Amino acid sequence: MDNYVVEVDDVTVRFNLSNEKVDNLKEYAIKLMKHELMFQEFLALKNVSLKVKKGEAWGLIGTNGSGKSTLLKVIAGILKPYRGSVRVAGSIAPLIELGAGFDGNLTARENIYMNGTLLGHSKKFMEEHFDEVVEFAEIKKFLDSPIKNFSSGMKARLGFAVATIVNPDVLIVDEVLEVGDYRFRKKCNERMQEMRESGTTLLYVSHNINSVKKLCDHAIWLDKGVERMAGDAVTVCEAYQQEQDELEKIRLKKKREKERKKRGNNYDYLIVGAGLFGAVFAHEARQAGKRCLVIDRRTHIGGNIYTENVDGIQVHKYGAHIFHTSDKEVWEYVNQFAEFNHYINSPMAVYKDELYNLPFNMNTFSKMWGIRTPEEAQKIIADQIADLHITEPQNLEEQALSLVGTDVYEKLIRGYTEKQWGRPCKELPSFIIKRLPLRFTYDNNYFNDRYQGIPMGGYTKIVEALLADVDVKLGVDFAAYQKENPGTFKKVVYTGMIDEYFDYRLGHLQYRTVRFETERLPESNYQGNAVVNYTEAAVPYTRIIEHKHFEPEREKAEPKDFTVISREYSQEWKPGMEPYYPVNDEKNGQLYEEYRKLADQEKNVIFGGRLGHYKYYDMDKVIREALECVREELKRKD
Amino acid sequence: MNSLQSRIKTLIKYKDLVLELVSRDLKLKYRRSILGYVWSVLNPLLIMLVLTAVFSNLFKKNISNYPVYLLCGRTLYDFLKLSTNNAMKSVTGNAQLLKKTYVPQYIFTLAKVTSCMVDTVLSLGALAVVMVITGAKFYWTILLFPVVILELYIFCCGLGFLLATLHVFFRDIQYIYNAVMTAWLYVTPIIYSLESINMPEKLKFLVKTFNPLYFYVTQFRAYVYEGCFPGKIVFLGGWFYAFAMLIVGVAVFQAKKDKFVLYI
Repeated sequence: MDNYVVEVDDVTVRFNLSNEKVDNLKEYAIKLMKHELMFQEFLALKNVSLKVKKGEAWGLIGTNGSGKSTLLKVIAGILKPYRGSVRVAGSIAPLIELGAGFDGNLTARENIYMNGTLLGHSKKFMEEHFDEVVEFAEIKKFLDSPIKNFSSGMKARLGFAVATIVNPDVLIVDEVLEVGDYRFRKKCNERMQEMRESGTTLLYVSHNINSVKKLCDHAIWLDKGVERMAGDAVTVCEAYQQEQDELEKIRLKKKREKERKKRGNNYDYLIVGAGLFGAVFAHEARQAGKRCLVIDRRTHIGGNIYTENVDGIQVHKYGAHIFHTSDKEVWEYVNQFAEFNHYINSPMAVYKDELYNLPFNMNTFSKMWGIRTPEEAQKIIADQIADLHITEPQNLEEQALSLVGTDVYEKLIRGYTEKQWGRPCKELPSFIIKRLPLRFTYDNNYFNDRYQGIPMGGYTKIVEALLADVDVKLGVDFAAYQKENPGTFKKVVYTGMIDEYFDYRLGHLQYRTVRFETERLPESNYQGNAVVNYTEAAVPYTRIIEHKHFEPEREKAEPKDFTVISREYSQEWKPGMEPYYPVNDEKNGQLYEEYRKLADQEKNVIFGGRLGHYKYYDMDKVIREALECVREELKRKD
Repeated sequence: MNSLQSRIKTLIKYKDLVLELVSRDLKLKYRRSILGYVWSVLNPLLIMLVLTAVFSNLFKKNISNYPVYLLCGRTLYDFLKLSTNNAMKSVTGNAQLLKKTYVPQYIFTLAKVTSCMVDTVLSLGALAVVMVITGAKFYWTILLFPVVILELYIFCCGLGFLLATLHVFFRDIQYIYNAVMTAWLYVTPIIYSLESINMPEKLKFLVKTFNPLYFYVTQFRAYVYEGCFPGKIVFLGGWFYAFAMLIVGVAVFQAKKDKFVLYI
């Protein structure tokens, strides 16, 4: 024998949904004479089957009117199926509406008995459990006041308390826990958890996909009364969510098309560059009802955080991006648009045949010198520094040596820095390195920030979400667009190179750039870590990124027998190359200031982002910058 | 027979609910009114006073102790009218609840008729008061009044089920039924007696045969007002109509109950 607790077999539920409800004789007679009394058949459920085993938790998901509640009602016995059969083994506690049977004029005490007997309990049983109910509902003080004076939260508490006196075999919950305060919801969830542990089967309807994922192990997705998908909760929820997102996208697109008909090519903001700054700005401006057009020279959105899906591996096309921040608001902001994993950046360094942990910490020192305690490490470093007798460092080499001593510098800094800058450390100015943090703890976490992670499914998704309701044109050059569509935008948000905007009229700003050699390898794990630095000058590349390790959870879920790696080569930048890092030396700083003055005169142009500000920004700083910029902008009255 | 058994089981399971519903109705009826239960007695008394003032001269010669005569009939009529009216709305009135919880629908109908029955028994106090004031004789047969109440209760349940079902599908029934109730008052010897008025014999025959209320009123008066046993036909006819109505009511209700939730 199968041990199904709930067996819904090929159930169809039909409503006679006449156009208007015919519920009086006159109408009935008229319609009868006109032969209009053909009830429009409306099938709330069509051939739905559901088999639930003891102890399972099923989530019922779907849009409004998809038949979720109907299915629950059929199972609860409130509705009878038109075709098919429903069998429930054991008792049911239906929480379809908390306190559905409350009579506002009766006191809480009376209502407890009333509601209990409505659920089929005897009066004696209710007397025995009366105190329990009162305690759970926390209404002792108000026991003898009429329930019409209760707040909806109090009513919900009381309803829940009465409905869950017994551990039923099947608990049916329809969206009822959305009311009530935080503590109540928590209490209810605990109570439900208790029931689940004692073997209660749960049927749960909610629009909150996350709570379905959390509470349920199975899910069924109904769409217009038909089963779309059933099975594992996460799989079904995600499929549902995806379709909802698609539909939302279509809706937004239609909305924007309407707008286009009305306003044509006219925009409040023309945003140049679909990178993080532009996307955040566009998103926020759009939320405030502004019409935005985002253009980008590249044929994809996302700017340098663009990630490309290569058969399931998110490849960071423009270098490794690891999101880290201590700015809580920014962290919460990005989490609206993607779920982040808990990736912690702990890079490795290869020097000849030696392998070290980065950043410089006790793991590094221990490996280097075979020591164990911080004291030993500190002594070695101090001794090495003292031996060098450097009083005033004249160049980068001396500066670094005076900070970390010979070994760390020789093995981990020199070669890497020389490759990065393309010339010997002795010829580099000392100010490039101001400090070199040494950690005397065994801690390989590269960043010191409170929050860190990689968006699951790649960064492009974040930008996609930000730009979901914004017009985007790709492969469009700003200068050309401006020429072809003069006067169609009130303001420009420019996130490209500031010197390019002014046609390099004061000369070129300099950048450093990185060249990537990306390769797909027929092996499942190339280097065992996402980031490995090559600190030896003889190796031409500075580091190798193995992209799959940024999303270890994904690799675990679907192991792949190939991998994608990128070797990074530091290069001198020449006009026309992808600019990556601004060069923060005096010469470039001064030049930027000149451009800045020009920019200030451009009244209807906002410059932003890494290239617009000629400043190295981490992602969180870009977002912060963009948020502040757009808020400032929206505050201003036109 | 299994289904009958399980039905009885359900009824037993929900018997406390019926009691709760009845006690709610009674509690709410008097809660926040100063005189409370006294109204149960006072109300029929006042109506009786009015009716007596109007009609007693009309039937003075033929009907002795008119107030008691009138109140006997009136009490039963009020029971019938009130209970069936309430029963009619018992399913539609609990629409919100029935859509959200599984409760056998007939429980509400049953509870409404029951609470009206209890109310009627309580209001019999008015009758006792009038009997004492008018110096009416108390016969031992008065103790048999519960028989009539039970018969009428069964009848009202049956009619209540029928009306509740009809009301789900046609809300008009409440207005039609109101008219019917008024007519029913006049085709039943309540304010008059059949002997005291000029009514065509044919009509009298129809009333005596097809008006169930006639059987209950006559029987009740026999026990209380006249102190004798009713005729065999009146006695058996009362039971016959009670069960006939119950069977019809239950049959209709059962046949349609699964569709209720779609229409309320």
